[in-house]
Amino acid sequence: MVRIGIVGLTGCSGCQCEILNCEEALSKILQRAELAFFPLAKDDHTVPELDLALVEGSVSTELDEEKVKEVRKKSKVVVAVGSCACYGGVQAQRNDEASLKEMLETVYGGEKLFLKVFKPRPVSEVVRVDYELPGCPLDKRQFIYTVASLLNGVKPFFPKIPVCHECKLSETECLTLKGIPCQGPVSFAGCGAPCTASGIGCQGCRGNCDFPNFDEMVKLLTERGLKRSDALKFLKVFRGKTFNTEKLGSYADGKGA
Amino acid sequence: MERELKVNHLTRVEGHGAVELKLEGSQVKEIKLSFTEGPRFFEFITRERLFSEIPKIVSRICGICYVSHRLAAAKAIEDAFKTEVPEAVELMRRLLIVGEFLESHALHLYFLALPDYMGYGSAVEMAKDYPNVVRRGFKIKEVGNRIMKLLGGKTVHGEAIVAGGFTRAPEKEELELVIDWLTEILPELEATAFLFDSLEYFELESPVELEVSLENPVPSEPSDRVAVSNGLKFTKQEFEHFIKEEVSPYSTAKRSTVNGKAFRIGPLARVNRGEDFYTEETKEVLSRLKNRFPSQNPLLANLARAVEMVELAHRGVKYAEKLIELLPFEPKAELEPGEFGGYGVKEAPRGVLYHHYRFSPSGHCIGANIVTPTAQLQACIEEDLKALAEKFSYLPDSQLKKRAEMLIRAYDP
Ligand code: SF4
Ligand code: SF4
Ligand code: SF4
Repeated sequence: MVRIGIVGLTGCSGCQCEILNCEEALSKILQRAELAFFPLAKDDHTVPELDLALVEGSVSTELDEEKVKEVRKKSKVVVAVGSCACYGGVQAQRNDEASLKEMLETVYGGEKLFLKVFKPRPVSEVVRVDYELPGCPLDKRQFIYTVASLLNGVKPFFPKIPVCHECKLSETECLTLKGIPCQGPVSFAGCGAPCTASGIGCQGCRGNCDFPNFDEMVKLLTERGLKRSDALKFLKVFRGKTFNTEKLGSYADGKGA
Repeated sequence: MERELKVNHLTRVEGHGAVELKLEGSQVKEIKLSFTEGPRFFEFITRERLFSEIPKIVSRICGICYVSHRLAAAKAIEDAFKTEVPEAVELMRRLLIVGEFLESHALHLYFLALPDYMGYGSAVEMAKDYPNVVRRGFKIKEVGNRIMKLLGGKTVHGEAIVAGGFTRAPEKEELELVIDWLTEILPELEATAFLFDSLEYFELESPVELEVSLENPVPSEPSDRVAVSNGLKFTKQEFEHFIKEEVSPYSTAKRSTVNGKAFRIGPLARVNRGEDFYTEETKEVLSRLKNRFPSQNPLLANLARAVEMVELAHRGVKYAEKLIELLPFEPKAELEPGEFGGYGVKEAPRGVLYHHYRFSPSGHCIGANIVTPTAQLQACIEEDLKALAEKFSYLPDSQLKKRAEMLIRAYDP
C-alpha cells in the first residue's frame, strides 16, 4: 500500500477541505493507498514514513518549519498544495512592504509572541518540493490527477497556460472586453475558470502562467478603471514572491499610461 | 500527587493546538490551551487595499467558514458606505449561509466528532463498519457545497460574493434545484439529530455562566445586536467595548472576556436561547429529543449543530422560493467609497464573528479589527477543561486526555 500524508501548516484548511470534498475519488484512491497521516480528519499525532506528502499552508512559525522538515525527511515525494504552500499565500502579500516587527505590532500590539514566527514563506524556501499545485484553494480535479498519476508511476504535468484558454474552452464571454478587471491573461490555468463564468474577473489565485506580460496587464487594468497602484496590489494578492514590482517596466514607476 | 498531562497535537479540529494540564490530586494547578497557528496578519494585510479587495482577502481566514468572513466584511463595508442592499441580495446571502452551515456542521459532526462516540480514530475507519452513516455525512456536506458553489462561484472562497452583493443572479432552474436538494436531505438531517441525540455524552456541567450570540440566534437571519445571557444587549458598534481581547502568553489566539469573565459562543449558546425563534418543524424535532435545551453540558454542542441544520434547511427552502418570486433581479448594489468606518457582525458556524474597518477618502482600508470565534473561545474552553479535569481526575491519563480532546472538539475552535 502506498502511504499518503496530508499535512497542514499555516493556512485556512480550505485546501484540505477541498481534498475531503473528493468523496468518490478518495474512496477509489483508498483502495490502493492508505491515508497514513491526516490530523484534520484522523487521530494522527506523529508523522510516519510516507510515500507521498501533500503540504498545505505557508511556513510561518518555528513549528511549521520543524514539521515540514520532518515531513520532507520521511516522505519520498512532497507536493505543495495551494497558493500558501506554493507562493506564501494571501498572508505573504505585504512581505516586501513591511517588517515582521510592524506586522506583529499591528496585530498583537507588540512583538512578543510565545513562539517564534517568521514572515510567511512558501514550502520550497525551506525544503525541496517535487510538485506544486497552486490555487486558493487547489482544484480538486488537479489533486485527483496528481495522486492518480503518481500512483500509476506517471509524472504529473501542468502546462502553465493562461486562464483565458479555459474561458475559450468553456465558451465564457470575455469580461475584459466588457470592461471588467480580469487577471486571466497572466494567471496559471487549471481551475476551469469558475470565476469568469460567474461574472467576476479572475483574481489570479493560482499565480503566474508562463511568460506573463505584466506590463500589458497593468495597462489593461488601468484602462478598466483601476489606479496603477491599485492594479499592482490587485495583482499581488496571491502571487507572493512570484510577483516582483521592480521587474515591471514603465507602468510600475508611474511613467506609463 | 502531581500529575502532568499533555496533548501536543490536537487532531480532528480545524486548527492547530495543544493542551497542558497540571493536577495535584483532584485540583487543577495549571492549565494551558495553546493555539499554535501561525499569525497571518489579516489586520495588517488588509491595509492600503481597496475596499473591494477586502472580502476576498479575509475569506482566507478560514476555509470552512469563509462565507461568514466574507459576509461580515461585506456588511462592514456596506455599513461604512451607507449602502442598503436589495431584498434579493439579502435573501441570497441567507441561502448562502444555509449552504455554509450544512457543509461546516456536517463536516464537524460526521468527520471530526462522531468517530469519538463510535470508537474509531477517523471517519475513514468508521466507514468500513458504518458505510451508510459516513455516506450520509458526505451527502449533507455535498448539498452545502453545491449551494455555496452555485451562489459563490467556487466551492471554497466563492469569489462571486462581493461587497454590495453578488456578481451573478441565480436562474429559476438553479433555485428549483436548491429546493429539491434541501427537501431531499431533510429526512437525513432529522436522522442526524436523532443519531446525535442517542450518543452517550459524559456528564459535565460547564462553569462558564455567560453565553453570547446575536440577538436573533438563527444564523441565517440578520441581526446587528449582540445578546448576552445575563440580559445585557449591545450593538455591533459597541462590540469592542464589551468583548475585551488581550494577547495570551501561550497562544497565538487572543483571549476574550465580557466583564472580565469567560463566555461561550457557538452552536450551544445559540440553540440554548433559540427555541422561540425556530420554525414549527424544528420545534417538533426538539420535542422528540431525549436531551433538552438549554443545557450546560458543552458536549451537547454536537446535538445543537444537528438541530441548527434542520432549522436552516427548512428556512433555505423558503428563501429559495421567495427568490424565485423576485426574479429577475439585480444581484448587487453599487457602492460609493468614502472616508468612513463600518461594522459587521455575523454568526459563523463556531460563533459570533466581528469585523470593523476604517477607510480613507479613496476607499482604501486604513485599519481593521477582526475578532474570530477561536479568540473568544480560548478562555471558555480552558474553564471547561478545568472542570472536566477536576471531575474526572480519577481516570487514567489516556482516558482523561481522550475526554479533554472530545471537549475541545465539541467547540472545534
Ligand atoms: S491556499 Fe488558500 S485555500 Fe489553501 S490553505 Fe492557503 S488560504 Fe486556504
Ligand atoms: S474573461 Fe478574463 S480570463 Fe476569460 S478570456 Fe477574458 S480576460 Fe481571459
Ligand atoms: S479563475 Fe482565477 S481566481 Fe478563479 S479559480 Fe481560476 S485562477 Fe483562481
